[in-house]
Amino acid sequence: MQGMIVHELRQVWDEFIRAFAHLLPRLLVILIIAAVGWLVAYLLKILVRNFLRLVKFDRLSERAGAAQLLDTAALPSATELLSQLVFWLAWLVFVLVGINALGTAGVQEHISAFLRFLPRVLVALAILFFGILAANFFSRAALLAAVNSNSPSPQLLSDATRVIIIVLAISMAFEELGLAQKTVLIAFSIVFGALMLGLAIAFGLGGRDLARRFLEKRFSERTPRKAKEDELSPL
Amino acid sequence: MPSTAPDLWYKDAIIYQIHVRAMHDSNGDGIGDFRGLTEKLDYLQELGINTIWLMPFFPSPLRDDGYDISDYTSVHPNYGTLDDFKGFLDAAHHRGIRVIIELVLNHTSDQHPWFQESRSSVDNPRRNWYVWSDTDTRYRQARIIFLDTENSNWAWDPVSKAYYWHRFFSHQPDLNYDNSAVREEMWNVMKFWLDLGVDGFRLDAVPYLVEREETSCENLPETHSVIKELRRRLDEYFPGKMLLAEANQWPADLRAYFADGDEFHMAFHFPLMPRMYMGLKLEDRKPITEILQQTPKIPDPCQWCLFLRNHDELTLEMVTDMERDYMYDEYARDKPMRLNLGIRRRLAPLLDNDRRRIELMNGMLFSLPGTPVIYYGDEIGMGDNIYLGDRNGVRTPMQWDGGWNAGFSSADPETLYAALILNPVYGYQVVNVKSQRRLPHSLLSWMRRVIAVRRSTQVFSRGSIEFLYPANHRVLAYVRKFGNETVLVVNNLSDSAQAVEVDLSQYKGNILVEMFSRNIFPRVGSLPYLMTLGPYQFFWFRLRRI
Amino acid sequence: MAEEDILSDELLRQLISVGEVDILVGLHTYNDAKTIGHVVQVIREGLLRYFPRERAAILNADGGSADNTPELVQAASISDARQASTLHTLRTLHCISSRYAGHPSAGKAMHTIVAAADLLRAKACAVIAPRSSEIVPEWMDRLLRPIYRDHFDYVTPVYQRHHFEGILVTNLMYPMVRAAYGIPICEPRPGEFGFSDRLAGHLLGEDVWSQDVGRSGPEVIITMSALAGGYRMYQSFLGPKGHVEQQSSDLVHALRQTVAPLFWSLAKDYASWSAVREAQAVPTLGPNFLVTMDSARLDRKRLHHMFCSGVVDLEPVLKSILTPPTLAALQRIAATDEHRFDYSDELWVKAVYEFAASYHKSVISRDHIIQALAPLYRGRVYAFLEQNLNASEQELEHNLEVLCQTFERLKPYLLERWAGQEGSS
Repeated sequence: MQGMIVHELRQVWDEFIRAFAHLLPRLLVILIIAAVGWLVAYLLKILVRNFLRLVKFDRLSERAGAAQLLDTAALPSATELLSQLVFWLAWLVFVLVGINALGTAGVQEHISAFLRFLPRVLVALAILFFGILAANFFSRAALLAAVNSNSPSPQLLSDATRVIIIVLAISMAFEELGLAQKTVLIAFSIVFGALMLGLAIAFGLGGRDLARRFLEKRFSERTPRKAKEDELSPL
Repeated sequence: MPSTAPDLWYKDAIIYQIHVRAMHDSNGDGIGDFRGLTEKLDYLQELGINTIWLMPFFPSPLRDDGYDISDYTSVHPNYGTLDDFKGFLDAAHHRGIRVIIELVLNHTSDQHPWFQESRSSVDNPRRNWYVWSDTDTRYRQARIIFLDTENSNWAWDPVSKAYYWHRFFSHQPDLNYDNSAVREEMWNVMKFWLDLGVDGFRLDAVPYLVEREETSCENLPETHSVIKELRRRLDEYFPGKMLLAEANQWPADLRAYFADGDEFHMAFHFPLMPRMYMGLKLEDRKPITEILQQTPKIPDPCQWCLFLRNHDELTLEMVTDMERDYMYDEYARDKPMRLNLGIRRRLAPLLDNDRRRIELMNGMLFSLPGTPVIYYGDEIGMGDNIYLGDRNGVRTPMQWDGGWNAGFSSADPETLYAALILNPVYGYQVVNVKSQRRLPHSLLSWMRRVIAVRRSTQVFSRGSIEFLYPANHRVLAYVRKFGNETVLVVNNLSDSAQAVEVDLSQYKGNILVEMFSRNIFPRVGSLPYLMTLGPYQFFWFRLRRI
Repeated sequence: MAEEDILSDELLRQLISVGEVDILVGLHTYNDAKTIGHVVQVIREGLLRYFPRERAAILNADGGSADNTPELVQAASISDARQASTLHTLRTLHCISSRYAGHPSAGKAMHTIVAAADLLRAKACAVIAPRSSEIVPEWMDRLLRPIYRDHFDYVTPVYQRHHFEGILVTNLMYPMVRAAYGIPICEPRPGEFGFSDRLAGHLLGEDVWSQDVGRSGPEVIITMSALAGGYRMYQSFLGPKGHVEQQSSDLVHALRQTVAPLFWSLAKDYASWSAVREAQAVPTLGPNFLVTMDSARLDRKRLHHMFCSGVVDLEPVLKSILTPPTLAALQRIAATDEHRFDYSDELWVKAVYEFAASYHKSVISRDHIIQALAPLYRGRVYAFLEQNLNASEQELEHNLEVLCQTFERLKPYLLERWAGQEGSS
């Protein structure tokens, strides 16, 4: 009986070794691909980084307000971030290719699916990124316009603009990823609609008198006020 | 050669203005004469002119270059005899050249026997042949013409102890045309020369014949009556002869001298002449077109007489003060060039001896409506001498060749009636007939060509004129029409190349034929006709529909 | 250089007919039929009186008027084709009008005029605002003679102003230009001005016309270009400044027309003005800086309120533009009540300089930087009014001079901010 156990163990061991031996070259190949991939990815990262430095990408992102965002999130600068992203992406692709080379059927499918999914992730990220930039820009524009035209609660207007645009961007990103599309759509419509309805009700019902007085103040005072200030031209 | 009805020959005339004493000296006394002039008739025939206008050659003390006449029916001995004149006249006619002479109606020399008699006593029969007065206060409103030398129209005569009236120099007393004897005598004078065979008269200083109180004493109706009477007799006894008026007036006033075709046949268009020069300097056609727009229509048998220069100063009387200042500043910067509200320079010096400008001005002279007059010597581009007092600077001897006295006279240079032009630019060695005759592209050769083109058609001499007003104001463009012929004239008045679009829509379909070369130019289409002209360039196009 | 877009075929044809001119007068119009007829007649009279022998033309760059403005301009031309003229003149006077492509914009009109002046080789060109109803023929002499006869390159006007008018000019534009270039130009944004052919050629070569600042604020751009290029400047007194353009009473619009091009030009021409240490005088015909003391109704409370609320509300924006000390100082002032309002000259100057530096670095959108200046400017107006409401003419001029000197004294601060790394935190 001892002999049988040993024999079985040995068989299992041999099988294991065999499987391992079968796997080993492939593993080696993966490692080599990974190593090469790492090198290529690194070179790409350097290239991208230098290119971005050349076109002063950092300044661009500063202007758009992205730099501040990244700063707050304790992330590195835009150039750095992008170069890193490129690096990881490139290396990921190589690794995946390597794994693909293993030849495991299920894995191959998953990898292809993942690779097909990857661009959409990138697009969603891009939508989010630009959405945030746009939100910054337009909320600031709204703030300035409101302040300069002496509108009430400019901060509110600015924040509302920012929120709306970000919500829009997030919804678009989710839609792009294909996640919970309907849910997101409905949620977005509800939120947006509720916001608008709320504002309408607030003015129409709850703040009726306030609204009336406010409107009266605005419209009746505006005209003579405007004339007074405009009597003196700044030029 | 198109046929000319005898009575309108002056419309097709190309007149050459001659000062006998300046043309050619045959007897070596330093003064030109009729025999000498006769020798040069071939040259004039070759040039292409068909009419000669002789400046006064009558006996005279020559204090106003012959315009102060002391004998109306004779020839000054300097210039020869009456027979010499007859010989010249016949020779001219033989070559198909007509001759018109000057008749100074308005005044005589104070050396004329008539004046000598008139001043001798109050009772003399010729007393009233002149205008006498005890005071110099009459006719106050009359202007003084020779501003640089005279300060009054009255002169005191110590012999007769009275004032006599003179619109010009004080030694040129005015004849009294209120006196019928004067009028009769002047007709006799005219008859004398007409009998000899002259073809017409240039009547000098006609506006001033009659004076009346409270008037400017110019262009008075009585003056016109005198002229009408002369004309009537002329037509009756000497049909086909011509009267040319020298009246430096605005176009509206000039019109009166044509009346209903029963006064003058022709009159000089004085106001146009300075404006041609102005247009050239301004590089703007406005002065030219405006004066011609203001020029009234004249009776069909009548004709304007155009000229660029003459023996007098380039007169600036008929321009505004602003225009006169401009002309002085542009054409007569040196004060000695100015005289009596005018500029005493010849054509070439006025135009800086610029061949292109000389050609352009002559081109306009020969293409604008009127009979052109060429001043002797301007066909070769003679220069002037402003230091020769009065207007004598433009009356120097004709330059025939580069040799002894420019071929003018065999006399000693010191005895010439006036010094020759000697400077390196206009001197006779450079500017003379002989050298220019040899060169096919000299100014003289060009003048012969342009005269020939002018004479090849009656469109210029008898046609209508319609101005085109292209947007480019530096281009003067007009259309001349006569019978079936239509000619387009385009002149670039500027010193630089110009592009111009001319509206020829009513001539659509016509081919343009350039008249000097007879080259064909593109057909007129529906778009404005685009032309490009070099500096001071002009075109004469015949419009042909084939 | 998209010059071919600026000069339409039709305008080019007209320019060919005009040919070379000595003097060109440009008008930029859009629906100005009410005033343009009179303006053009006065210009014509001025040209005939002061330049009767010169070749002149009037060019109207029109933005697409629907009220016959171009026809009114063309009616003033003097030409032999229009035989009804009773004027006696030596020359033809062309009055041409052309519509430039696109929306009405002062920049495009100005570009057209400069391009035409260059093509026509005009020795002197004057630009007249179409609503200048107080124009007199002497303006032609005052604007053109220094260029045409005395060979200056750029002539700006000096107006007789109400003492509280044009505070943007007296409290910002004028002192800043003077500090930067050492040259005291009373009207950096002139309604009427004159320039030479040399300057015209230079302006055409500048790549400014297609930019936004070029479209909205060409006058300032031209002034700054002339200063940067070292062109010979001259000032002529023109009289009272009567007209106020409609839109300039909108402050943000005014800032876009003036401060934006000013900052833009400073950014572009850093090399020219950064090294200037000494002040120069500008030859001036007539009085310099005339001020009249008429009264006017002013709503100072509103100014104060807008300043305070602006500083508070715009904090996130101002943080990117101003340095912390300056922002803190402004916030302190905004928190105090109006009777203890202490908006010193120095604070104002520093704020302006920091704005200029931030604009240069484009820390945020440049247009937003300009808009953010509005509340600070309002505060400054309030302070200025407080200081000078009861001041005499001499006191007012003295206070303005002190302000100018503050601008000059703090120029090193501007240079420091300009060269510094970050304008923000």
